[in-house]
Amino acid sequence: MTEHVLQMEDVTKTFGSGRTEVRALKKTSLDVSRGEVIAIIGPSGSGKSTLLTIAGGLQGPTEGEVRIAGERITELGEKDRSKVRLEHVGFILQSSNLVPFLTVSDQLKLLDKVKKGNMTKEERKGLMEELGITKLTEKYPNDLSGGERQRVAIAKALYSNPSLLLADEPTASLDSDRAFEVMKLLKSAAVKKDAATIVVTHDTRLTDYVDKVYKMVDGVLHLETEKGGAASLDEGRTDFLEKGGNEDGI
Amino acid sequence: MFLAWREIRQSKLRFALVTAVLLLVSYLVFFLSGLASGLAGLNREAVDKWQADGIYLTDESDKSLTQSMMEVDLADDVVADETAVLAQTNLIADNGDAKSGVALFGIRPDEFIMPEPTEGDEFSDEFEVIASDSLKEEGFSVGDELDLSGSEVTLTITGFTDDARFNAAPVLYMNLEDFEKVRPGAAAMAQQEGSAENPDGQPAETDQGLPGETVEQPEMVNAIVVKGSQPDEVPDDLEYLESETFIENLPGYTEQNLTLTFMIYFLFAISAAVVAIFLYVLTVQKISMFGVMKAQGISSAYLSRSVIAQTFILAVIGVLIGFGLTVLTGQFLPAAVPVSFDYGMMAIYGAVLIAVAILGALVSVWTIVKIDPLEAISG
Repeated sequence: MTEHVLQMEDVTKTFGSGRTEVRALKKTSLDVSRGEVIAIIGPSGSGKSTLLTIAGGLQGPTEGEVRIAGERITELGEKDRSKVRLEHVGFILQSSNLVPFLTVSDQLKLLDKVKKGNMTKEERKGLMEELGITKLTEKYPNDLSGGERQRVAIAKALYSNPSLLLADEPTASLDSDRAFEVMKLLKSAAVKKDAATIVVTHDTRLTDYVDKVYKMVDGVLHLETEKGGAASLDEGRTDFLEKGGNEDGI
Repeated sequence: MFLAWREIRQSKLRFALVTAVLLLVSYLVFFLSGLASGLAGLNREAVDKWQADGIYLTDESDKSLTQSMMEVDLADDVVADETAVLAQTNLIADNGDAKSGVALFGIRPDEFIMPEPTEGDEFSDEFEVIASDSLKEEGFSVGDELDLSGSEVTLTITGFTDDARFNAAPVLYMNLEDFEKVRPGAAAMAQQEGSAENPDGQPAETDQGLPGETVEQPEMVNAIVVKGSQPDEVPDDLEYLESETFIENLPGYTEQNLTLTFMIYFLFAISAAVVAIFLYVLTVQKISMFGVMKAQGISSAYLSRSVIAQTFILAVIGVLIGFGLTVLTGQFLPAAVPVSFDYGMMAIYGAVLIAVAILGALVSVWTIVKIDPLEAISG
């Protein structure tokens, strides 16, 4: 039986009222399972980020129900939702989510200070090797390139062993080579860590790396494509190389 | 503490500025407290030296030692474990090389307010005095003969004693028996002897003879100093003051202390405001970062503790350096500057400074609590 990490049922989100009422999210249902990576694409203002923030418990829906790891977060206050986020959700944001005055190594240590059950030393070492950031441990975010920052952000998001990984335009500030590299690493790490992953992106080329692609238009979510997860990674990479990429760029 | 210390290490200049402000404020607070303590000492150290519980003055004197005049025999009516009579007047003493305004105390050598000389000897002959050792810095020494303003008498310094200033003037202690001959106006008083009158205007009748005959003025003192429990009964026309009350009523003492204390309190308020503004600006600059951290599930309580810890670290460093600087400055101050460091009081003021700095940080804590992670992420 497939374990749904995220369950959104008949979720709507309305801002304002009367003449100023905006229905950012119309009745939407979405389930994401462990190890599954989905992308949500769509134009600006279509409701993608609203969906993502509701999925992450950063705001509540107007109607409907949201469960993260089986916990109904729609009934929780901010303090408890914060705990759920800490326990179950990893965020990767457009402009990286790193603390500017912490070294790469301290970014992870911070999570050890606020939460138990993070990766072991060996797991952390493996993750850092996999993301190619082993040599960056004593560097500060300002000393890193955009691609390096996002790789560290992925490490940080995965370090707490989240069951749900939410990435909002994780490659927006990167050039194409770095974008593909980061997306590939994100997919690989999410699958290895068995995390349900939602990637919100404008870049349709990145959808080659995901299992399902949803399109959001005017607050309505449609399933666009669905494919086999593991196969798609290689296919996407082949597709990218055929489009003119090279080995070094990945 | 983890976040707090890491940020301080990474942004040294920024936090050095906050620390510098706290350092300067604490330096000023410590220095003012030293000044307050020193000036208070100038006024009260001779009184503290008595280690008395209280003092009797005439009730018409309105708690003023100089305005209180009573017959010395009244001391017999006072009930206390120990009593000591005190006559006091202010004069200018001149040893030929230096002049100084002094407080002259007429005392009985066998009573408890008689000081121990730290240099030289006690007075024994007529017109000898033990002087405050602060006079040494003004050029006075043992054996000096002192001409007095308003008196024909010459006094001789036989010794010095420490902690002997009263109302900012160095004290000269002399035998009460001689004091009457020195008190300004003593000559005129002497001339009046023989024509003394009762308060009702009638010639005084004394043990020695009838009205109109030569009489002696009764020995007068300004106060009776006592040791022992609070009296149940106070003789008529006298008022009992506890030592602290007596000191608080010394001319200018309370006003001077209040002024300096107010300055210190204002500095506390200023430091709280400065720290609040500094930290608030720093916090506002980090709203986005705090928002992202809150989105990741890091609690407001953890972030707030970090800001408090940061403030605590900066305040402790600032206060400790301020304390060190104050003590160092004290080593190089000329003796004329009346600074006396009361380390116990400085520790209290230091603790208060740290506390008000933390109070100032609460503005930032409130800002953190109010940060909406959604807005921070969306922004």
